[in-house]
Amino acid sequence: MATAANDRSCQLGDFDAVVIGAGIVGAMIIRELSRLKGRFAIVEKEMFPGFGVSKASLSQIHLPDFCPPGSLKGKLCVNAPERFKKLAGELDVDYREVDELWLALAPAQVSLLKEAQFRGEANGAKGFELVGPQKIRELEPHITPNAVAGLRAKGLGVIHPPQWGRALVAHAVQNGVQLYLQTAVRNITKNENGTFLIDTSGGILSAKYVINAAGLYADEIAQMAGDGDIRLILRKGTMLIFDKSVSHLARHMIFGTSGAPHSQDIAPTVHGNLIVGVHYAKTESKTDTRVSREGIRETLKLGQMLIPALSEADIITSFAGILATNTMSSEGDFYIAPSEREPHVIHIIVGAPGLSAAPGIADYVIKLLGDAGFKTTEQKTAQLRHRRWPRFESASVEQREQMVAENPKHGHILCRCEQVTEAEIREAIRSGANTMDAVKHLTRAGMGRCQGGFCGTFVLEQLIKQLGIAPTEVTKNGPGSYQISKVMNS
Amino acid sequence: MLTVSHLDLAIIGSGPAGLAAAVKAKQTGIKDLVVFERDQRPGGILPQCIHNGFGIEKFKEELTGPEYANRYIKMADTHDVDIELNTMVLEIEKDKTLIAVSEQSGLRKFQCKSIILAMGCRERPRGAIGIAGTRPAGIFTAGQAQRLVNIEGYMPGENIVIQGSGDVGMIMARRLTLEGAKVKAVAEIQPYTSGLIRNEVQCLHDFNIPLLLGHTVSDIHGDKRVEGVTLVEVDADWNPIAGTAVQMACDTLLLSVGLVPENELTRKAGISIDPHTGGPYVNELLETGVKGIFSCGNALHVNDFVDDVSTEGEIATRGAHYRIKGKMPGGKQRIALKGDSTIGQVVPQTISGLRPVMLSIRVKRPMQKMTLHVGDILEKRFPYARPSEMIRVRLPGKIFSDLKPGLTRLDVTCQER
Repeated sequence: MATAANDRSCQLGDFDAVVIGAGIVGAMIIRELSRLKGRFAIVEKEMFPGFGVSKASLSQIHLPDFCPPGSLKGKLCVNAPERFKKLAGELDVDYREVDELWLALAPAQVSLLKEAQFRGEANGAKGFELVGPQKIRELEPHITPNAVAGLRAKGLGVIHPPQWGRALVAHAVQNGVQLYLQTAVRNITKNENGTFLIDTSGGILSAKYVINAAGLYADEIAQMAGDGDIRLILRKGTMLIFDKSVSHLARHMIFGTSGAPHSQDIAPTVHGNLIVGVHYAKTESKTDTRVSREGIRETLKLGQMLIPALSEADIITSFAGILATNTMSSEGDFYIAPSEREPHVIHIIVGAPGLSAAPGIADYVIKLLGDAGFKTTEQKTAQLRHRRWPRFESASVEQREQMVAENPKHGHILCRCEQVTEAEIREAIRSGANTMDAVKHLTRAGMGRCQGGFCGTFVLEQLIKQLGIAPTEVTKNGPGSYQISKVMNS
Repeated sequence: MLTVSHLDLAIIGSGPAGLAAAVKAKQTGIKDLVVFERDQRPGGILPQCIHNGFGIEKFKEELTGPEYANRYIKMADTHDVDIELNTMVLEIEKDKTLIAVSEQSGLRKFQCKSIILAMGCRERPRGAIGIAGTRPAGIFTAGQAQRLVNIEGYMPGENIVIQGSGDVGMIMARRLTLEGAKVKAVAEIQPYTSGLIRNEVQCLHDFNIPLLLGHTVSDIHGDKRVEGVTLVEVDADWNPIAGTAVQMACDTLLLSVGLVPENELTRKAGISIDPHTGGPYVNELLETGVKGIFSCGNALHVNDFVDDVSTEGEIATRGAHYRIKGKMPGGKQRIALKGDSTIGQVVPQTISGLRPVMLSIRVKRPMQKMTLHVGDILEKRFPYARPSEMIRVRLPGKIFSDLKPGLTRLDVTCQER
């Protein structure tokens, strides 16, 4: 490992621990850290927490029935749904409970369901039930008549990771954590006192402990810290979002048994659309989130094997995310461990179900920090000040009346598809959403069936007005992604 | 609890259909009516359609979109029509109650004797046609670009490729060219344009904008902002032909790939939708499956001409009139109009056989020397037919005198001669 650079011109601060990466895992860790005594920071290269891999996923909270018995990932997500449900209350964010229904489409596949049940139970999960074709039809009338058996489990869940990332980080910041967004780590060195110097695009942070939660980039951060032997194997997964008019086609989180885990996965999203995934393809690039025609077609085909009524005409958008496994562990397990060379650096290399395991990972990392010598003393933490603004769309008539009475701007609906009000959009911008995508992910304006065709212009106007910026300065998601090229001469 | 106000007629939308319905209603003595408009101005999509070609049938002259809207807005003013702006209808129930919300009046509930649905249509987004590639800034629907340029005064970009040859796409090709942008190509996956011939000639050919028929954008490039697209030639089944892909640099991709009637409220009210039109099933007075709820204009089916949209608004008002008075002659008689495999859509889907009716028909594929049959009561010849040009055929009242009693179905068919 190289020695420290002399350039201290832009010293951002001295910290006990710095978390690199504010995906859902990093965000969970920093919130847990923020309950402890010490100085902490979190560094994220994207514009917002939860905007990397976390966002481009199925966003489902699973039981460990996909995880090999005794695996680290199985252990860390054993009570994931319960933990997320509890956290949702603490953080005032959305969590929607959805039951699991894992299908066998041929008698030969029934044993696979039994294996899943065995894995789940061996990992400590309970409540599995094998059901027959008649029960399946009762539960889900639109499922293929080929379904011969199903494995049912209650109380899984779905979330919207950017909403969670924002709330987790907001609470951490309230507890005194320093947050550096749009800040990319360029190098890590160590000075003569054994303190790490993290060189970022925004300046240098010094830290006694470094927590590498950089997700897809965790191998590169590991390399900076001297661990060059961690390799990621990448796969690209394509997912489809359907119009809410066909949401009745599935109420469960429905899995098929063909192919890789979740290569047949149909479920409601937390917002009430259906998501259908996942067609996997090999990729070499971490930024390869292009969707392909083949990816869309194959994903749909996999979904139609479970629910034949799914139609291409009802797809409102498609996207791709990157999933990684690593070379450090077997059977696709997580690798979460202190560096062998630098015990004060903890690497977190996860793949699926990283989202589900995130609360468990946070606990585990705090324990590893303690083992490495960090004194984990709890401090008195602030009550979460962050409160979600009420969402007009999901409010009752009485609540809506009250919302409009309190703030008449709730009476002005800017996004017609998702019924997002001007008040909600203003509140999102006030709380830091300064791009079209940030407003979209915090409010849902632009996530509906017209995909921003109507409200895009209104959101643009709100960003111009509320931020006091020029129209050409509004971006989709940060520098370079301008929305309009120029203001016309009148 | 919301207090409930009573209305004879509620009209949802103040575009060319809703305004014409409202004016007709006032002219024919319906006093107690409200038009609900979610935008800050009346006129629907017309204020952003600053090109001409509107009103040839209704006003016997060529008007621009804003001019056409203003004619109706003036008439509405003269007749004291109550247009509630910035007001969105959130729910409609089968019993004809509706809930609307606005900044100025909050939530309000209305019990209506009749409702006319005139919400217009929306554009299909990228996701609906599954274009591959990255997801950068710079991808707009043609209508969104039209609003940016004509209402907000913003240029969406400078180097533009347009996917789809819908009317708005072709009109925007010309508009952006006039504003100094370079429109590099309009790609259309079908072997013919999906908009009107007059727009193909006046917007593309007259401005030397390349029209690539049988081509599609197969890929979008650029991480932050669009940097280019891949264009590829397709075969008859829309499959890319190997070796035809070309890269084209651009900063903007506009999509003009079809319009979809807006019927979320209609669905909420439990009204069945015709999958062929995307609008509700209606009879010749444009009454939906729910008594007293009518549909017209682009919410019913996507029209070619605004004049026809306004005419439908007037027909819906005639129907509403009967319901308000409490009697609907022929309300129970139903003859279904069924298109065969050559027919894309027919509106209305049922008729009573008691009064004259204008049929709107689209063929599925282009045809030469086409003969149209409506059962054995009408035969009509056309030099050609295209899916992009709606065929309108009037069935005069006397035509029905020969109908067999008890007839429940008339087949609508097309053949090439």
